[in-house]
Amino acid sequence: MRALSARLPWARGAPWAPRASALAALALGILLALVPAVAPRDITLLNLGFFTFLYVAQGLAWNVLGGYAGYVSFGYAAFFGLGAYTTALLWLAGWPPLATYPVAGIVAAAFSLIVGVPTLRLVGPYFSIATIGVGEAMRVLMLNLDRITGGASGLNLPTAVPSKTWFYTTSLLFAAVAFAVAAWVRGSRVGLGLMALRMDLEAAESLGVRTALFKNVAHSLGAFLVGACGGLYATFLQYVHPDTVFSFTESISLVLIALIGGLGTVWGPVLGAVVFYAVQDYLQTSYPTFHLLVYGVLLILILLFEPKGLAGLAERAWRRMRGAPARLAPAGPSGAEPAAPGRGGAG
Amino acid sequence: MLTAPNLISVGIAALLTAGLYAVMSYGLAIIYGVMKVINLSHAGFLMLGAFMTLVYFQRWHLDPLLGALLNLPVFFAAGWVLYAVLVRRVMTSLPIASLLLLFALWLVLQNVALAIWGSEDQSIITAYTYKALPVLGFRIPLTRLLVFGVALATLGVLHFVLGHTYVGKALRATVQDPQAGVLVGIDTERISAVAFGLGTAFAAFAGSLLTLLFSFTPDFGGPFQLKSFTIIVLGGLENFAGVTVGAAILSFVESYAVLFMKASLQNVIAYALLVVALIVMPGGVAQLWTRSRS
Amino acid sequence: MTAALALEHVTKRFGGLLAVSDVSIEVAPGQITGLIGPNGAGKTTLFRVISGGLRPSAGRVFFEGREITGWSPHAVCRLGVCATHQIVRPFPDLTVLENVLVAAAFGSGGRLAPRSPRAEAEEVLEFTGLASRGDAPAAALTLAQRKRLEIARALATRPSVLLLDEALAGLTPTESQQAVALIRRIRDRGVTIVMIEHVMRAVMDLSDRVLVLNYGRLIADGPPRAVTSDPQVIEAYLGRALEEA
Repeated sequence: MRALSARLPWARGAPWAPRASALAALALGILLALVPAVAPRDITLLNLGFFTFLYVAQGLAWNVLGGYAGYVSFGYAAFFGLGAYTTALLWLAGWPPLATYPVAGIVAAAFSLIVGVPTLRLVGPYFSIATIGVGEAMRVLMLNLDRITGGASGLNLPTAVPSKTWFYTTSLLFAAVAFAVAAWVRGSRVGLGLMALRMDLEAAESLGVRTALFKNVAHSLGAFLVGACGGLYATFLQYVHPDTVFSFTESISLVLIALIGGLGTVWGPVLGAVVFYAVQDYLQTSYPTFHLLVYGVLLILILLFEPKGLAGLAERAWRRMRGAPARLAPAGPSGAEPAAPGRGGAG
Repeated sequence: MLTAPNLISVGIAALLTAGLYAVMSYGLAIIYGVMKVINLSHAGFLMLGAFMTLVYFQRWHLDPLLGALLNLPVFFAAGWVLYAVLVRRVMTSLPIASLLLLFALWLVLQNVALAIWGSEDQSIITAYTYKALPVLGFRIPLTRLLVFGVALATLGVLHFVLGHTYVGKALRATVQDPQAGVLVGIDTERISAVAFGLGTAFAAFAGSLLTLLFSFTPDFGGPFQLKSFTIIVLGGLENFAGVTVGAAILSFVESYAVLFMKASLQNVIAYALLVVALIVMPGGVAQLWTRSRS
Repeated sequence: MTAALALEHVTKRFGGLLAVSDVSIEVAPGQITGLIGPNGAGKTTLFRVISGGLRPSAGRVFFEGREITGWSPHAVCRLGVCATHQIVRPFPDLTVLENVLVAAAFGSGGRLAPRSPRAEAEEVLEFTGLASRGDAPAAALTLAQRKRLEIARALATRPSVLLLDEALAGLTPTESQQAVALIRRIRDRGVTIVMIEHVMRAVMDLSDRVLVLNYGRLIADGPPRAVTSDPQVIEAYLGRALEEA
């Protein structure tokens, strides 16, 4: 498995690409990690970093199932919310916040299996619809479990919190872990299986890919990361409310970040999250949900013109800058057009 | 709580709600049936229909019921144009592309509405909003009876249109077998445009009716949309008569369940039913007695 | 000797339709078996019952003496039975090499060791004559190449039994001959082959044995020459009109 992952020819004709991408990510990470040392008192900047990294981590996590395997879920708020409440309750019980995040992730991942095993058998769009049902059902349920969740009044959490620098750094670390996981999965045997099943579930299955298993692995991997992010978020806010952490807006934010950034690419969600949070932050005071309008329009444009999102655009711009012609699919020896698929009819 | 009069009054309420639910879901069923597209912008058109009704009411003192009628041609045109400009372009890609496109459209509609009307609750109060009529010894709000009446009338009209007009027959033929439809000379592009127009028009029409019963905001369509999904899945997705059955099932289950649980949990029933129905009976309720899956 | 593949009274119903009816077959290892019959006879359904895509309504399926009835397709494939699809379905955004790599990495169930999936994939491309197209996206292949890719992928799972569903359909006579040669070379590697085919010449040339399905029932079984002169088979293909004329 290791040997294979190192040798997969993902970037066609550019065997250096995965390594360059990893180096770039490492450099960027180190650079960003130095920010608190340079500007320790700039609360605005540290908060901006905190939220952006949190979105980056979640966008990357969502993309594992949504992008690689093509199963678009509108229900990740359930994982975020479960993570947030797990951390909240453990923190109130005296745990140090940092120790609660893995537990938050595990709770979310466990829930993702309960939901995923039956729903991931549904084909694409039906899975998406089912996840909306699951997400909203969880929100309403949590709103009604007042003894545990505080219901409509939410839960106030301990007031003694770590510093802004701590939050910034932890969030950056989450993003880095999510990036490493997303990049590793993409280059690994698991990623190959996920991409194969996205393109043709039946063909992948008949070639030995355990599609049900892989879908669930991808789902719970994403759920784990998003759950941990929910925990970190709860610590930061010192307050949890079902309507915020289980909100449909949280779910669709992740969908939008991954789609607009670039479905199934490693850098896409990073780009998507940065732009998403920048627009949201810029418009927050004047018009709280305007970023969703902007993103709705962007999504329409992307679906119509650039299915690979911002990452695809960036790649195109990069090629143009270097003067290289856009890579075309090499034609067959006879130069023939791809022939029509074989004829139908049952044998 | 479980007294006989109580059970009967809940039954009446459930029946009335079933009518509303059916009307609310026809648009979704038409679009799914013909185009095999799950219209995630349904909620947006329910909402927009409601707000347009408010606009007609405020500008011209147009009664919401007349507003509903006016919405039909207005939104049919809007749906047609949207199909031609946007939806048509993603019909050849993966099914998920159309789902996402319509989802994006919902986001846009919702936030445009927010920009225009703000996020406060809106409502339309007519002369008859608070009137009630006695039915079987119970006092039933007039608005609910009106909505039910309109629902029945719509059902009749829809039945007539689907059964006796060329467009209706073409629609049904396409639902049953798209390829055969093409073979007998039905222009699928045209029929899809008609279906999307009709679906949009019905959503807006239902949105108008909702204003008689509920207050509304730019994001009020969501729960209704999810319930509509539940209804068409229960109804078997491709079956217009199934919509009525699905609506009745959801409405009765919801209404009677509330006798045993917190009212605020009511929506969970619809959402849970949606997930369960998708998984265990992709052919709708009818599947349960036609044949077991081999 | 254990049969490579054995079906015992396999029946498959779709609602009221009987697609496969009480079929019992034993396939000896190393043979090429042709499966023929008119359209709608249940050939592809039978393949899907064997390869795990469909659970039979009744009856049992064995691979090398081991019951595999109702197993899922990935498990059947990993065990050593791989089916190609009548309508070729390459993964369009993956390269030709990556397509084969999926099969080698997942379908071989440990039979490759100590060789790497990558090496196996490259070897299979060489064997099937697709090596020069390895880096091309699968979507850019011609139909003949796609058909060969379909076979290459199946081969990379190192199957003991290969089920070929109309591997020759739509090919030109030259391409057809190349494909026939390829199938023969696959058999020479020791792979047991069952092939659904409408191109009669190929069936006659290749098959050690021919099975004929009609309305889901097995109506003939034997050497190619014997089967084609069987009056029942002639009737199934040409109908009664012949007698009446």
